Amino acid sequence: MISVLALVAGVILGLYFDPTVPPALQPYLPIAVVAALDAVFGGIRAHFDRVFDDKQFVVSFISNVLVAALIVYVGDQLGVGGQLSTGVVVVLGVRIFGNVAAIRRHLFRA
Amino acid sequence: MSSREPTGQTPRRPFTPDFLTELFRNPLEPGYAAAAARRAKQPPPRWQTLLFRAVTVVTVLLIGFLLAVAYRQTLAQAPGRAQARSVLVEQIKQRDALTDELQQRADALREEVSRHRDLTLSGFDSTRLKQLEAVTGLGRVRGDGVVVELADAPATVNPVTGEEEVDDLGRVLDRDLQDVANALWSAGAEAIAINGQRLTATSTIRAAGRAIVVDFRPIAGPYEVAAIGPKEMERRFRDSPAARLMRQVATDHGLSFSVRAARNLVLPAAGEPRLRYAQPVPSASPNPSRSGSSASATSPAALPPAFPSTAPSTGLSPLPPSVDPLPSPSEGSR
Repeated sequence: MISVLALVAGVILGLYFDPTVPPALQPYLPIAVVAALDAVFGGIRAHFDRVFDDKQFVVSFISNVLVAALIVYVGDQLGVGGQLSTGVVVVLGVRIFGNVAAIRRHLFRA
Repeated sequence: MSSREPTGQTPRRPFTPDFLTELFRNPLEPGYAAAAARRAKQPPPRWQTLLFRAVTVVTVLLIGFLLAVAYRQTLAQAPGRAQARSVLVEQIKQRDALTDELQQRADALREEVSRHRDLTLSGFDSTRLKQLEAVTGLGRVRGDGVVVELADAPATVNPVTGEEEVDDLGRVLDRDLQDVANALWSAGAEAIAINGQRLTATSTIRAAGRAIVVDFRPIAGPYEVAAIGPKEMERRFRDSPAARLMRQVATDHGLSFSVRAARNLVLPAAGEPRLRYAQPVPSASPNPSRSGSSASATSPAALPPAFPSTAPSTGLSPLPPSVDPLPSPSEGSR
């Protein structure tokens, strides 16, 4: 419950302050969002599985975002930026789908 | 590989799912299960649980913040793209205006040249030159004739994409304009202009993508083909195969096609033609070659006159620039 409130509060804060993203960080933003979504859905699923662990959640979120950003950075430096980000999006997308399917099974028993 | 018989000597590899299968089957971090097992074995101290709960809340706050920032960022980038587009459109318009301006200047200079020429030449030569210019499309002309109007079929809204589009069959093609122009020539037209672009003997009507290009200048629909010619030209054009075909296409596919007689049409002069000089063929021999057609072409008597040497019999009258009753756009700049 408190997590949902914190999420809403974060959205409101983001909309309220409306920070400008420096251009150097702009390519990482979409990937960071996907990585964050992966961590969120993983956490929700763990919550329903009754195995949720705060430390695990925080560490998985931070490492997801960092690794995703690193891959994009390396891709940029190698000149294959687009393709490597596609890889990140595919892997994280698959995980998001799997976790959402598990959440759905918990919620609707279907 | 698969054709080889299993010998039984090599130990059977245990079945391991490939990476993607593993990914699909087990999307949850295995760490959650491990942590749960650890917790069951030995519950962590109370303060540690509270601390990590606080960190989780901060993390979730951060995620929400991230989502909002990404949303704002995406919104902010959209007008940037539109802006780039509008800048390009602006540039195109500027260049178009510049081209028009230069064109006007060229027209003005050409008129000046012809005025000076008129002063120098004798009356007979000057009249003859004007007649030639009128016939070849290098001078403005005025007269009665017909105006053929063509336009694309009205756009229909695609129910799927919501975009307006014109059925390709209902589009006016470069071929259509070519056919109409040729039919007008053969019906006796002495001067033709498409959307104000005068046609000459070397004019081109082509398609570039979806645009129609007349003498390398793009023109947009609705198209207006104006022709000056004898009275019976309208009837002859209406009976021509091209007009019949266009009427058929118009009834079948909804594009509009109309022919009307018009009085006192003024057609502008075409752009200055690029001069090309005849060059002797290196291997040309004084003897006529064997083929009959070229043999006849070598005798000057058999050459058809390049231009009619007398004034055309019909209503085509050249407009001398000095007595031009129409205020041309270049007048002001002089």
